[in-house]
Amino acid sequence: MVQTLRRVFLTLLFLSISTSNTFASEQDEAQVLDVMGTVADHNYFKVPGFINGGKIYLPRIFYWESAEGESKLSAYLSTKSVLESGEFVETEEGALVPANGGHIIVDLSITSHLIYFWMGMLLALVLTVMAAGRYKRGIGRTVEPQGAFQNMFEVLFVFIRDDVARDNIDHHKADRYVPFLFTMFMGISFMNLFGLLPWAATATADLTVTATLAFVTFVITQFSGTKDYWAHIFWFPGVPTWVRVILTPVEILGMFTKPFALAIRLFANMLSGKIMIIAILGLVFIFADLFGAGAAYGVGIFSVSLTVVLYALKAFVALLQAYIFTLLSAVFIGMAAEDHAHSEEGYYTEHSAEEVSAN
Amino acid sequence: MGLLAAGIGAGIVALGAGLGIGMIGKAATESIARQPEASGDIRGAMILTAAFIEGVALLGAVICILLALGIGQ
Repeated sequence: MVQTLRRVFLTLLFLSISTSNTFASEQDEAQVLDVMGTVADHNYFKVPGFINGGKIYLPRIFYWESAEGESKLSAYLSTKSVLESGEFVETEEGALVPANGGHIIVDLSITSHLIYFWMGMLLALVLTVMAAGRYKRGIGRTVEPQGAFQNMFEVLFVFIRDDVARDNIDHHKADRYVPFLFTMFMGISFMNLFGLLPWAATATADLTVTATLAFVTFVITQFSGTKDYWAHIFWFPGVPTWVRVILTPVEILGMFTKPFALAIRLFANMLSGKIMIIAILGLVFIFADLFGAGAAYGVGIFSVSLTVVLYALKAFVALLQAYIFTLLSAVFIGMAAEDHAHSEEGYYTEHSAEEVSAN
Repeated sequence: MGLLAAGIGAGIVALGAGLGIGMIGKAATESIARQPEASGDIRGAMILTAAFIEGVALLGAVICILLALGIGQ
Protein backbone atom coordinates (compact mmCIF):
# COMPACT_ATOMS: atom_id res chain seq x y z
CA MET A 1 0.00 0.00 0.00
CA VAL A 2 2.80 2.36 0.99
CA GLN A 3 4.63 1.56 -2.24
CA THR A 4 1.54 2.40 -4.29
CA LEU A 5 1.00 5.63 -2.40
CA ARG A 6 4.63 6.51 -2.90
CA ARG A 7 4.26 5.90 -6.61
CA VAL A 8 1.13 8.07 -6.80
CA PHE A 9 2.85 10.86 -4.92
CA LEU A 10 6.00 10.62 -7.00
CA THR A 11 3.91 10.76 -10.17
CA LEU A 12 2.19 13.85 -8.83
CA LEU A 13 5.47 15.52 -7.98
CA PHE A 14 7.13 14.43 -11.18
CA LEU A 15 4.30 15.82 -13.27
CA SER A 16 4.27 19.07 -11.36
CA ILE A 17 8.01 19.48 -11.67
CA SER A 18 7.91 18.69 -15.37
CA THR A 19 5.08 21.18 -15.95
CA SER A 20 7.00 23.88 -14.11
CA ASN A 21 10.01 23.03 -16.25
CA THR A 22 8.10 23.58 -19.49
CA PHE A 23 6.93 26.86 -18.02
CA ALA A 24 10.54 27.67 -17.17
CA SER A 25 11.78 27.10 -20.69
CA GLU A 26 9.31 29.67 -22.04
CA GLN A 27 10.58 32.37 -19.71
CA ASP A 28 13.83 33.25 -18.06
CA GLU A 29 14.93 30.01 -16.42
CA ALA A 30 16.45 31.45 -13.24
CA GLN A 31 13.41 33.62 -12.48
CA VAL A 32 10.83 30.87 -12.01
CA LEU A 33 9.63 30.02 -8.53
CA ASP A 34 9.28 26.23 -8.38
CA VAL A 35 6.37 25.78 -5.97
CA MET A 36 6.23 21.99 -5.98
CA GLY A 37 10.03 21.76 -5.82
CA THR A 38 10.01 23.40 -2.40
CA VAL A 39 7.64 20.82 -0.96
CA ALA A 40 9.00 17.79 -2.85
CA ASP A 41 11.39 15.25 -1.42
CA HIS A 42 15.02 15.69 -2.46
CA ASN A 43 18.24 13.72 -2.37
CA TYR A 44 19.98 16.63 -0.74
CA PHE A 45 19.68 18.48 2.51
CA LYS A 46 19.18 22.24 2.25
CA VAL A 47 21.51 24.39 4.37
CA PRO A 48 22.27 28.12 4.42
CA GLY A 49 23.81 29.13 1.10
CA PHE A 50 27.29 29.91 2.39
CA ILE A 51 27.98 26.27 3.35
CA ASN A 52 28.73 23.88 0.51
CA GLY A 53 26.68 25.83 -2.03
CA GLY A 54 23.44 25.41 -0.09
CA LYS A 55 23.13 21.66 -0.48
CA ILE A 56 24.51 18.64 1.33
CA TYR A 57 24.04 15.55 -0.81
CA LEU A 58 22.69 12.45 0.88
CA PRO A 59 23.60 8.80 0.29
CA ARG A 60 21.83 6.82 -2.42
CA ILE A 61 21.05 3.20 -1.68
CA PHE A 62 19.52 0.89 -4.29
CA TYR A 63 18.29 -2.65 -4.20
CA TRP A 64 18.42 -3.50 -7.87
CA GLU A 65 18.39 -6.32 -10.37
CA SER A 66 21.08 -6.40 -13.01
CA ALA A 67 20.59 -7.57 -16.59
CA GLU A 68 21.91 -11.04 -15.65
CA GLY A 69 19.08 -11.39 -13.15
CA GLU A 70 21.05 -11.17 -9.90
CA SER A 71 19.81 -8.76 -7.27
CA LYS A 72 22.31 -6.47 -5.57
CA LEU A 73 22.33 -3.89 -2.82
CA SER A 74 24.51 -0.91 -3.68
CA ALA A 75 25.21 2.18 -1.65
CA TYR A 76 26.80 5.43 -2.84
CA LEU A 77 27.67 8.64 -1.03
CA SER A 78 25.72 10.92 -3.35
CA THR A 79 23.98 11.06 -6.71
CA LYS A 80 27.24 12.33 -8.20
CA SER A 81 29.21 9.30 -7.05
CA VAL A 82 26.46 7.03 -8.40
CA LEU A 83 27.02 8.49 -11.86
CA GLU A 84 30.81 8.41 -11.47
CA SER A 85 30.76 4.70 -10.62
CA GLY A 86 29.31 4.03 -14.08
CA GLU A 87 26.85 1.42 -12.89
CA PHE A 88 23.88 3.75 -13.27
CA VAL A 89 22.99 6.32 -15.90
CA GLU A 90 20.59 9.21 -15.73
CA THR A 91 17.60 9.26 -18.05
CA GLU A 92 16.19 12.40 -19.59
CA GLU A 93 13.57 12.65 -16.84
CA GLY A 94 16.30 12.68 -14.20
CA ALA A 95 15.65 9.16 -12.93
CA LEU A 96 18.53 6.73 -12.40
CA VAL A 97 18.57 3.38 -14.22
CA PRO A 98 21.25 0.64 -14.26
CA ALA A 99 23.68 1.19 -17.14
CA ASN A 100 23.68 -2.38 -18.47
CA GLY A 101 19.93 -2.99 -18.39
CA GLY A 102 17.98 -4.36 -15.48
CA HIS A 103 15.95 -2.25 -13.10
CA ILE A 104 15.86 -0.82 -9.58
CA ILE A 105 13.60 -2.91 -7.33
CA VAL A 106 13.53 -0.60 -4.31
CA ASP A 107 15.06 2.84 -3.99
CA LEU A 108 16.18 2.95 -0.35
CA SER A 109 17.95 6.30 -0.69
CA ILE A 110 18.06 8.60 2.30
CA THR A 111 16.10 11.74 1.48
CA SER A 112 15.61 15.10 3.15
CA HIS A 113 12.16 14.15 4.46
CA LEU A 114 13.59 10.99 6.00
CA ILE A 115 16.27 13.05 7.76
CA TYR A 116 13.61 15.35 9.23
CA PHE A 117 11.51 12.33 10.21
CA TRP A 118 14.49 10.94 12.11
CA MET A 119 15.26 14.31 13.65
CA GLY A 120 11.69 14.72 14.87
CA MET A 121 11.56 11.25 16.36
CA LEU A 122 15.06 11.59 17.85
CA LEU A 123 14.16 14.90 19.48
CA ALA A 124 11.02 13.31 20.95
CA LEU A 125 13.13 10.41 22.24
CA VAL A 126 15.83 12.63 23.76
CA LEU A 127 13.34 14.88 25.53
CA THR A 128 11.38 11.92 26.88
CA VAL A 129 14.52 10.15 28.13
CA MET A 130 15.71 13.38 29.76
CA ALA A 131 12.38 13.81 31.54
CA ALA A 132 12.33 10.11 32.51
CA GLY A 133 15.76 10.53 34.14
CA ARG A 134 14.41 13.30 36.33
CA TYR A 135 11.39 11.27 37.40
CA LYS A 136 13.68 8.32 38.19
CA ARG A 137 15.66 10.54 40.54
CA GLY A 138 12.41 11.33 42.31
CA ILE A 139 11.87 14.89 41.10
CA GLY A 140 8.20 15.11 40.23
CA ARG A 141 7.24 12.06 42.29
CA THR A 142 8.37 12.88 45.82
CA VAL A 143 8.58 16.63 45.23
CA GLU A 144 6.93 18.89 42.66
CA PRO A 145 8.27 18.97 39.10
CA GLN A 146 11.02 21.57 38.86
CA GLY A 147 11.96 23.94 36.10
CA ALA A 148 10.17 25.06 32.95
CA PHE A 149 11.17 21.97 30.96
CA GLN A 150 9.77 19.40 33.36
CA ASN A 151 6.60 21.38 33.98
CA MET A 152 5.89 21.74 30.27
CA PHE A 153 6.68 18.10 29.71
CA GLU A 154 4.33 17.04 32.46
CA VAL A 155 1.52 19.23 31.12
CA LEU A 156 1.87 17.65 27.68
CA PHE A 157 2.22 14.12 28.98
CA VAL A 158 -0.72 14.33 31.37
CA PHE A 159 -2.78 15.90 28.58
CA ILE A 160 -2.07 12.96 26.26
CA ARG A 161 -2.62 10.42 29.03
CA ASP A 162 -5.84 11.83 30.48
CA ASP A 163 -7.55 13.70 27.67
CA VAL A 164 -6.49 11.55 24.75
CA ALA A 165 -5.82 8.01 25.96
CA ARG A 166 -8.01 7.54 29.01
CA ASP A 167 -10.98 9.42 27.56
CA ASN A 168 -11.14 7.30 24.44
CA ILE A 169 -9.74 3.89 25.36
CA ASP A 170 -11.19 1.58 28.03
CA HIS A 171 -9.81 2.59 31.38
CA HIS A 172 -7.79 -0.47 32.33
CA LYS A 173 -6.23 -0.71 28.84
CA ALA A 174 -5.52 2.97 28.17
CA ASP A 175 -2.12 3.19 29.85
CA ARG A 176 -0.66 0.55 27.52
CA TYR A 177 -1.15 2.87 24.55
CA VAL A 178 0.15 6.06 26.16
CA PRO A 179 3.80 5.54 25.04
CA PHE A 180 2.70 5.06 21.43
CA LEU A 181 0.33 8.03 21.46
CA PHE A 182 2.87 10.28 23.14
CA THR A 183 5.59 9.32 20.65
CA MET A 184 3.21 10.05 17.78
CA PHE A 185 2.22 13.40 19.24
CA MET A 186 5.76 14.58 19.96
CA GLY A 187 7.20 13.21 16.72
CA ILE A 188 4.53 14.73 14.50
CA SER A 189 4.65 18.04 16.38
CA PHE A 190 8.40 18.34 15.88
CA MET A 191 8.18 17.27 12.24
CA ASN A 192 5.47 19.88 11.63
CA LEU A 193 7.35 22.59 13.51
CA PHE A 194 10.61 21.86 11.66
CA GLY A 195 8.74 22.89 8.52
CA LEU A 196 8.52 26.45 9.85
CA LEU A 197 12.31 26.89 9.86
CA PRO A 198 13.93 28.40 6.81
CA TRP A 199 15.75 25.80 4.63
CA ALA A 200 14.02 22.97 6.46
CA ALA A 201 11.49 20.64 4.87
CA THR A 202 8.18 19.51 6.33
CA ALA A 203 8.43 15.74 6.53
CA THR A 204 4.70 15.42 7.15
CA ALA A 205 3.94 17.21 3.87
CA ASP A 206 4.94 13.93 2.22
CA LEU A 207 2.29 11.26 1.70
CA THR A 208 4.81 8.46 2.26
CA VAL A 209 5.63 9.73 5.77
CA THR A 210 2.01 10.20 6.84
CA ALA A 211 1.04 6.88 5.27
CA THR A 212 3.76 5.15 7.29
CA LEU A 213 2.54 6.78 10.50
CA ALA A 214 -1.07 5.85 9.69
CA PHE A 215 0.05 2.31 8.86
CA VAL A 216 1.55 1.95 12.35
CA THR A 217 -1.79 3.06 13.82
CA PHE A 218 -3.58 0.59 11.55
CA VAL A 219 -1.40 -2.33 12.69
CA ILE A 220 -1.80 -1.44 16.37
CA THR A 221 -5.56 -1.06 15.92
CA GLN A 222 -5.88 -4.51 14.34
CA PHE A 223 -3.68 -6.18 16.96
CA SER A 224 -5.59 -4.65 19.85
CA GLY A 225 -8.93 -5.68 18.35
CA THR A 226 -11.06 -7.80 20.68
CA LYS A 227 -13.37 -10.66 19.74
CA ASP A 228 -16.26 -8.19 19.61
CA TYR A 229 -14.38 -5.98 17.17
CA TRP A 230 -13.85 -8.81 14.71
CA ALA A 231 -17.42 -10.01 15.24
CA HIS A 232 -18.68 -6.56 14.31
CA ILE A 233 -16.65 -6.68 11.12
CA PHE A 234 -17.34 -10.18 9.84
CA TRP A 235 -20.62 -11.18 11.50
CA PHE A 236 -22.48 -8.11 12.75
CA PRO A 237 -24.55 -9.18 15.75
CA GLY A 238 -28.27 -8.61 15.92
CA VAL A 239 -29.13 -8.05 12.26
CA PRO A 240 -30.69 -10.36 9.62
CA THR A 241 -28.27 -12.36 7.46
CA TRP A 242 -29.05 -10.46 4.24
CA VAL A 243 -28.00 -7.23 5.96
CA ARG A 244 -24.70 -8.85 6.88
CA VAL A 245 -24.01 -9.41 3.17
CA ILE A 246 -24.03 -5.62 2.78
CA LEU A 247 -22.46 -4.78 6.13
CA THR A 248 -19.39 -7.05 5.99
CA PRO A 249 -17.80 -5.46 2.88
CA VAL A 250 -18.60 -2.00 4.23
CA GLU A 251 -16.99 -2.82 7.58
CA ILE A 252 -13.91 -4.32 5.90
CA LEU A 253 -13.63 -1.17 3.78
CA GLY A 254 -14.03 0.88 6.95
CA MET A 255 -10.97 -0.82 8.43
CA PHE A 256 -8.85 0.74 5.69
CA THR A 257 -10.56 4.08 5.18
CA LYS A 258 -9.84 5.17 8.76
CA PRO A 259 -6.02 5.12 8.50
CA PHE A 260 -6.29 6.36 4.91
CA ALA A 261 -8.21 9.44 6.05
CA LEU A 262 -5.68 9.87 8.86
CA ALA A 263 -2.79 9.94 6.39
CA ILE A 264 -4.53 12.22 3.87
CA ARG A 265 -5.64 14.68 6.56
CA LEU A 266 -2.16 15.28 7.95
CA PHE A 267 -0.54 15.32 4.52
CA ALA A 268 -3.02 17.74 2.95
CA ASN A 269 -3.01 20.08 5.93
CA MET A 270 0.76 20.44 6.04
CA LEU A 271 1.11 20.63 2.25
CA SER A 272 -1.63 23.23 1.85
CA GLY A 273 -0.10 25.42 4.57
CA LYS A 274 3.21 25.44 2.75
CA ILE A 275 1.75 26.06 -0.69
CA MET A 276 -0.48 28.83 0.67
CA ILE A 277 2.50 30.81 1.99
CA ILE A 278 4.40 30.42 -1.27
CA ALA A 279 1.31 31.43 -3.26
CA ILE A 280 0.70 34.57 -1.20
CA LEU A 281 4.34 35.63 -1.42
CA GLY A 282 4.18 34.79 -5.12
CA LEU A 283 1.50 37.48 -5.56
CA VAL A 284 4.28 40.06 -5.24
CA PHE A 285 6.02 38.70 -8.32
CA ILE A 286 2.78 38.24 -10.26
CA PHE A 287 1.82 41.89 -9.60
CA ALA A 288 5.35 43.02 -10.49
CA ASP A 289 4.95 41.21 -13.82
CA LEU A 290 1.47 42.54 -14.57
CA PHE A 291 1.46 46.12 -13.25
CA GLY A 292 5.10 47.01 -12.62
CA ALA A 293 7.22 47.59 -9.56
CA GLY A 294 4.92 50.11 -7.83
CA ALA A 295 2.03 47.67 -7.55
CA ALA A 296 4.46 45.02 -6.32
CA TYR A 297 5.58 47.23 -3.44
CA GLY A 298 1.95 47.83 -2.48
CA VAL A 299 1.07 44.14 -2.63
CA GLY A 300 4.32 43.32 -0.85
CA ILE A 301 3.22 45.12 2.31
CA PHE A 302 -0.07 43.23 2.26
CA SER A 303 1.49 39.84 1.39
CA VAL A 304 4.28 39.97 3.92
CA SER A 305 1.99 40.96 6.80
CA LEU A 306 -0.46 38.22 5.77
CA THR A 307 2.42 35.73 5.66
CA VAL A 308 3.40 36.62 9.22
CA VAL A 309 -0.17 35.91 10.34
CA LEU A 310 -0.20 32.68 8.33
CA TYR A 311 3.06 31.62 9.96
CA ALA A 312 1.51 32.01 13.41
CA LEU A 313 -1.50 30.06 12.16
CA LYS A 314 0.81 27.35 10.81
CA ALA A 315 2.54 27.00 14.16
CA PHE A 316 -0.90 26.50 15.74
CA VAL A 317 -2.03 24.10 13.00
CA ALA A 318 1.20 22.10 13.42
CA LEU A 319 0.32 21.34 17.03
CA LEU A 320 -3.41 20.96 16.28
CA GLN A 321 -2.82 18.40 13.53
CA ALA A 322 -0.46 16.42 15.75
CA TYR A 323 -3.19 16.45 18.40
CA ILE A 324 -5.88 15.41 15.92
CA PHE A 325 -3.74 12.59 14.56
CA THR A 326 -3.10 11.33 18.09
CA LEU A 327 -6.72 11.79 19.15
CA LEU A 328 -8.09 9.91 16.15
CA SER A 329 -5.51 7.15 16.64
CA ALA A 330 -6.73 6.82 20.21
CA VAL A 331 -10.38 6.82 19.08
CA PHE A 332 -9.73 4.08 16.51
CA ILE A 333 -7.75 1.98 18.98
CA GLY A 334 -10.44 2.56 21.59
CA MET A 335 -13.14 1.41 19.17
CA ALA A 336 -11.20 -1.79 18.46
CA ALA A 337 -10.19 -2.52 22.03
CA GLU A 338 -13.63 -2.00 23.56
CA ASP A 339 -14.51 -4.88 25.81
CA HIS A 340 -18.27 -5.24 25.72
CA ALA A 341 -20.77 -5.87 22.97
CA HIS A 342 -23.31 -3.12 23.41
CA SER A 343 -25.86 -4.91 21.27
CA GLU A 344 -27.09 -7.22 24.03
CA GLU A 345 -30.25 -6.15 25.73
CA GLY A 346 -30.05 -5.29 29.38
CA TYR A 347 -26.37 -4.49 29.08
CA TYR A 348 -26.59 -1.07 30.62
CA THR A 349 -28.69 -2.14 33.60
CA GLU A 350 -26.39 -5.11 34.20
CA HIS A 351 -23.09 -3.33 33.92
CA SER A 352 -23.71 0.17 35.16
CA ALA A 353 -23.95 -1.03 38.75
CA GLU A 354 -20.57 -2.80 38.44
CA GLU A 355 -18.91 0.24 36.93
CA VAL A 356 -20.18 2.52 39.63
CA SER A 357 -18.86 0.18 42.32
CA ALA A 358 -15.53 -0.20 40.49
CA ASN A 359 -15.04 3.53 40.41
CA MET B 1 -10.92 21.64 -18.84
CA GLY B 2 -9.14 20.00 -15.94
CA LEU B 3 -8.34 23.42 -14.49
CA LEU B 4 -11.98 24.49 -14.77
CA ALA B 5 -13.15 21.30 -13.08
CA ALA B 6 -10.56 21.74 -10.32
CA GLY B 7 -11.61 25.34 -9.71
CA ILE B 8 -15.33 24.55 -9.53
CA GLY B 9 -14.61 21.44 -7.44
CA ALA B 10 -12.44 23.36 -4.96
CA GLY B 11 -15.22 25.94 -4.61
CA ILE B 12 -17.84 23.29 -3.87
CA VAL B 13 -15.48 21.56 -1.42
CA ALA B 14 -14.90 24.84 0.42
CA LEU B 15 -18.66 25.52 0.45
CA GLY B 16 -19.50 22.12 1.92
CA ALA B 17 -16.72 22.13 4.49
CA GLY B 18 -17.49 25.71 5.51
CA LEU B 19 -21.18 24.91 6.02
CA GLY B 20 -20.35 21.77 7.99
CA ILE B 21 -17.76 23.33 10.27
CA GLY B 22 -19.92 26.42 10.68
CA MET B 23 -22.79 24.28 11.90
CA ILE B 24 -20.49 22.50 14.36
CA GLY B 25 -19.18 25.83 15.63
CA LYS B 26 -22.73 27.17 16.02
CA ALA B 27 -23.88 24.12 17.94
CA ALA B 28 -20.75 24.09 20.12
CA THR B 29 -20.91 27.76 21.07
CA GLU B 30 -24.63 27.46 21.82
CA SER B 31 -24.01 24.44 24.04
CA ILE B 32 -21.12 26.15 25.83
CA ALA B 33 -23.30 29.20 26.43
CA ARG B 34 -26.05 27.00 27.80
CA GLN B 35 -23.76 24.88 29.96
CA PRO B 36 -20.37 26.57 30.50
CA GLU B 37 -19.13 23.90 32.93
CA ALA B 38 -19.12 21.29 30.13
CA SER B 39 -17.03 23.47 27.78
CA GLY B 40 -14.01 21.13 27.91
CA ASP B 41 -15.95 18.07 26.74
CA ILE B 42 -17.84 20.07 24.12
CA ARG B 43 -14.58 21.50 22.74
CA GLY B 44 -13.10 18.02 22.43
CA ALA B 45 -16.16 16.68 20.61
CA MET B 46 -16.17 19.77 18.38
CA ILE B 47 -12.54 19.32 17.30
CA LEU B 48 -13.10 15.62 16.66
CA THR B 49 -16.18 16.19 14.48
CA ALA B 50 -14.52 19.08 12.66
CA ALA B 51 -11.55 16.81 11.94
CA PHE B 52 -13.84 14.27 10.26
CA ILE B 53 -15.40 16.94 8.03
CA GLU B 54 -11.95 18.34 7.28
CA GLY B 55 -10.79 14.89 6.20
CA VAL B 56 -13.55 14.63 3.60
CA ALA B 57 -12.93 18.21 2.45
CA LEU B 58 -9.20 17.63 2.06
CA LEU B 59 -9.86 14.45 0.12
CA GLY B 60 -11.85 16.61 -2.30
CA ALA B 61 -9.06 19.18 -2.33
CA VAL B 62 -6.47 16.52 -3.18
CA ILE B 63 -8.64 15.33 -6.07
CA CYS B 64 -8.84 18.95 -7.26
CA ILE B 65 -5.03 19.19 -7.15
CA LEU B 66 -4.79 15.97 -9.18
CA LEU B 67 -7.25 17.41 -11.73
CA ALA B 68 -5.38 20.72 -11.92
CA LEU B 69 -2.07 18.94 -12.52
CA GLY B 70 -3.66 16.83 -15.23
CA ILE B 71 -3.12 13.42 -13.67
CA GLY B 72 -5.06 10.64 -15.31
CA GLN B 73 -5.28 12.16 -18.76
